[in-house]
Amino acid sequence: MSTILAFPRFLAFSIGRALQGIRRNALMSLAATATMVLMLLLLAGFWLLQAGLVAGVAYVEEKVEIVADLRDAPGADAVLVVQSQALAADVAALDQVRSVRFVSKDEALARFRERLRERGQVDLTGYLDRNPLPASLEIRLVDPRAYAPVVELLSSRQEVVDDVVEVQQLIDRLTSVTNVLRTGGIAILVLVGFVVLFIIVNTIRLAVVARREEIEIMRLVGASDAFIRWPFIFEGAIVGLIGSFLSLGVLAIVAPPLGDLMYGFFQVLPLELGSTAREVVVLVIGTGFGVGVVGSWLSVRSYLAG
Amino acid sequence: MTSTLLHPPAAPAPGSEPGPAAGPAGHPVVVLRGVGKTYPNGKAALRDVDLVLDEGEFVFLVGPSGAGKSTVLKLLIRDELATAGEVIVDGRDLARVSRRTVPALRRRIGIVFQDFKLLPARSVRENVAFALEVTGTPRRRIRPAVDQALAVVGLAAQADQLPTTLSGGEQQRTAIARALVHEPRLIIADEPTGNLDPLISWEIIQLLLRINELGVTVLMATHNAEVVTSLRRRVVALEEGRIVRDGVGGYHRED
Repeated sequence: MSTILAFPRFLAFSIGRALQGIRRNALMSLAATATMVLMLLLLAGFWLLQAGLVAGVAYVEEKVEIVADLRDAPGADAVLVVQSQALAADVAALDQVRSVRFVSKDEALARFRERLRERGQVDLTGYLDRNPLPASLEIRLVDPRAYAPVVELLSSRQEVVDDVVEVQQLIDRLTSVTNVLRTGGIAILVLVGFVVLFIIVNTIRLAVVARREEIEIMRLVGASDAFIRWPFIFEGAIVGLIGSFLSLGVLAIVAPPLGDLMYGFFQVLPLELGSTAREVVVLVIGTGFGVGVVGSWLSVRSYLAG
Repeated sequence: MTSTLLHPPAAPAPGSEPGPAAGPAGHPVVVLRGVGKTYPNGKAALRDVDLVLDEGEFVFLVGPSGAGKSTVLKLLIRDELATAGEVIVDGRDLARVSRRTVPALRRRIGIVFQDFKLLPARSVRENVAFALEVTGTPRRRIRPAVDQALAVVGLAAQADQLPTTLSGGEQQRTAIARALVHEPRLIIADEPTGNLDPLISWEIIQLLLRINELGVTVLMATHNAEVVTSLRRRVVALEEGRIVRDGVGGYHRED
């Protein structure tokens, strides 16, 4: 037997036998593919939920800001402005800080009036002889949990900073909630992943068990292990790929309306759809193909031993 | 591999030069020396079995259920390994044959079962071709080999039927064609007539005898006393894992 020709011939044989196996056991192949599609959709669905959850949590965390009221010294405005600008620059230089915004006394008053109008309350600020609202710095953090250095810096500038609005408790409470959501999301995803793997592998196992007689005959007529094993592995791969593509097709159809619904429900979910879509494609094809191959290999193995 | 074993003059295997229908004087195809088999559950199925099958012999293996007939057959196809003694098939000591070479060994042995073991969704032709396909035989060699095997068993006309549409005898002949298609030196038949009525059983026996005349050694385990007694062939009788009789005779010692 020529070894150069042997491999392509073996490959052709295996793929041919795999297609034959799928055709001849149409019902089982159909059941396996349907299971594969449902399980992959379940997995992709939970993956998307998890991605949405993470994005939502990040979005909420991003809203957290540290507000530092600045001292109000009538007559010393010019000095104060210089000092507060210096402080703003120092704060912005911190690694933990995403952005710093300076809110002047005028802007603070304008916001206050806006808020009153929104609530339909009477605006009495016009009767004040001077603007009582302090100027402030609004600081957004990269990670809301890392607020300590920022608060420390602000507290050390007593000459400029009048008061740091107490955010510690709020941040602690918020991050403990978001941590639970993140961990819970991953835990559920892992759990769903295991269930999906188990069910797909079990379905493939059933499909192989249904053909144990065929495997037994192959062994008795002198088929080598490779000639028995590889057609089944190719079969698993083909079923896995078909299942993946069907699942992706279903996702492509339901994704736009579902996405609109999600958007409408949460108002804003800054999901980076491009990368999430890529992740889902890799996840679905990788799982379908991988589990198809590994599941077949494991299922056939028990009939080859001995 | 040439496909002429079933058409004398034949060259059964490279390196072995007995003519077709070599007869009892040929060299041994099977040698069991002091073979014992104890299963992991502690049951001793065979004890100190000595048996030599020469090329071209036709041998009946008889004995009550549980006497060890199936175990002997399983040892010959290396489905089981002996726990004592030597099992040599076609010149190879099966205890020393690596797992990888077992398939090649099985291609030199044709196996026929009581329950036929045919694939119900495949035609007669496909069932026979299956044995060649799954051992990597090139397609162009399959068709002629299958046609030849079907001609030997007389099923050429039924080649495209499904096994389920055939009689029991035809199904068993399909199985025999599948066993023949690799041109084996040895055919092992495990109760091949167990599921068949007497008339059909005789047909199957006649077929095995004809295949034997073409030079293939046949070992047939059976309970069919009528067939064994009337043919006056070599009979190996097992009882409780031991050979209690070996020689030309009937099914029972007194037959």
